[in-house]
Amino acid sequence: MRGFATFHPFVLFLYYAMVLIITMLMLHPVILVLSLFGSLLFFLTIAPLRQFLLDLGFYFLVFLLVAITNPLFVHKGETILFFLNDDPVTLEAIVYGFVIATMLVAVIFWSKSFSEILTTDKFLYVFGKVVPKSALVLSMAFQFIPLFKRQIKKVHEAQKTLGLYTSNSITDRILGGIRVFNSILTWSLESSIHRADAMKARGYGLPKRSNFSLYKFEKRDLGMIVALFVMFFVIIFAYIKQYFAFNYYPAISDFTDTKQYFFYFLFVFMLTILPFMMEMKENLLWTFLKRKISASPIRNKKNVS
Amino acid sequence: MRKDLLLVAVIVLIGVILFKGTKIQSVEEYYLTHIDDITRESETIKISIRVDAVLEHLDKIPESLRSEKYIPKDGIILEETEYVLRPGDTVFDVLLRATRHHKIPFDYQGSEENRFGSVYIKGINHLYEYDCGPLSGWMYTVNGEFPDEGVSKYKLEDGDVIAIQYTCDLGRDLGHPYDEKEVNP
Repeated sequence: MRGFATFHPFVLFLYYAMVLIITMLMLHPVILVLSLFGSLLFFLTIAPLRQFLLDLGFYFLVFLLVAITNPLFVHKGETILFFLNDDPVTLEAIVYGFVIATMLVAVIFWSKSFSEILTTDKFLYVFGKVVPKSALVLSMAFQFIPLFKRQIKKVHEAQKTLGLYTSNSITDRILGGIRVFNSILTWSLESSIHRADAMKARGYGLPKRSNFSLYKFEKRDLGMIVALFVMFFVIIFAYIKQYFAFNYYPAISDFTDTKQYFFYFLFVFMLTILPFMMEMKENLLWTFLKRKISASPIRNKKNVS
Repeated sequence: MRKDLLLVAVIVLIGVILFKGTKIQSVEEYYLTHIDDITRESETIKISIRVDAVLEHLDKIPESLRSEKYIPKDGIILEETEYVLRPGDTVFDVLLRATRHHKIPFDYQGSEENRFGSVYIKGINHLYEYDCGPLSGWMYTVNGEFPDEGVSKYKLEDGDVIAIQYTCDLGRDLGHPYDEKEVNP
């Protein structure tokens, strides 16, 4: 059912690079909302619903924290709402805080789907030949947190079977968590060194070393690359032409420009919704095929006999 | 359970300290300031805020600032106004009082936030440092001289004339002999 993930790793990497550049470069609220929307929808299709909701809840808190922090430290802006300890808290700073928080959460969700889609082996496949050392370091950095989480869960469970964590006291549980965290920290440092040594022992990065991988560059990959570049260049063109310009200080711009250059925002929408559409297309195809199977004469004959 | 109670107590304590330490004022309350009346005996100083230097470089500042509201055509944000000098007043005290009195937005970095131990003027009337290129920002003169001190370190005397000016070129466009000083300190 992984529609988008079946593309060639290089295409996938290109896609993520483009989307992240656009999300981080352009501070237009519409673009950021589109990017967040696309990343959330795509993550919803590839992650279990429970995990999606948990992540959504957690990153909503992060969102609020970032959004609230900005007006406390930035006092720019025209519309003063009130004075906090003699410093003005402005509407513009609050809005900008929300915009930055949107960007942050969008980037985080893109990265989450990135680590699901562009797995370590794919990443090493793309960059292993060109820059072996940096590729190894990067791929290890990418999977650091997921690995960390998994290991913490393991140790946690082991400790539970040993009879620890039986106290109901929150303080004790927090202290226990810190102890586990401590041990995992040293473990992760050690394991990363071990892994690098193991890779070296197997001749990773040597010129004549070959390895097997099942990625074929097909026609649809080429088509995808062309489509991606067309979209990307249109968006970058609009950015350079200042069509996406949006001011927050001293006063927030209005959306007249957005209406005027609606056409260019359509491209951003297309780019950010693309992975979700691919998944959806694949899902629809699958249901259609399944229906075909159940309607086929062979199956019916079986039912009769 | 004893430990839990301690944790709750600490959290409550932090909450109370945070709550006690914040002062929330409405805009009207903040601008409701009392200005001392000028009498014959009172010591006074004069202060003005100008942005003349920007007028020559209107193309360099961001588009959002190119408005009569932020950059007046005559370059005067606050014309020379007389204020009573309270004992121990620095340039910063007078500037804060004047901007508060005239409801001019004034953004600064507090003296404890930088290593110079003096207040740094970030922006007045929505015009900020770096808005007119990398060499731009706010400077001040007292009686036509550029003091080599921070704005909250300079103690004022009776009859001083303060000018707060915006520069686009490290003060050279205001007549500050920056280069000569660098060569012959």
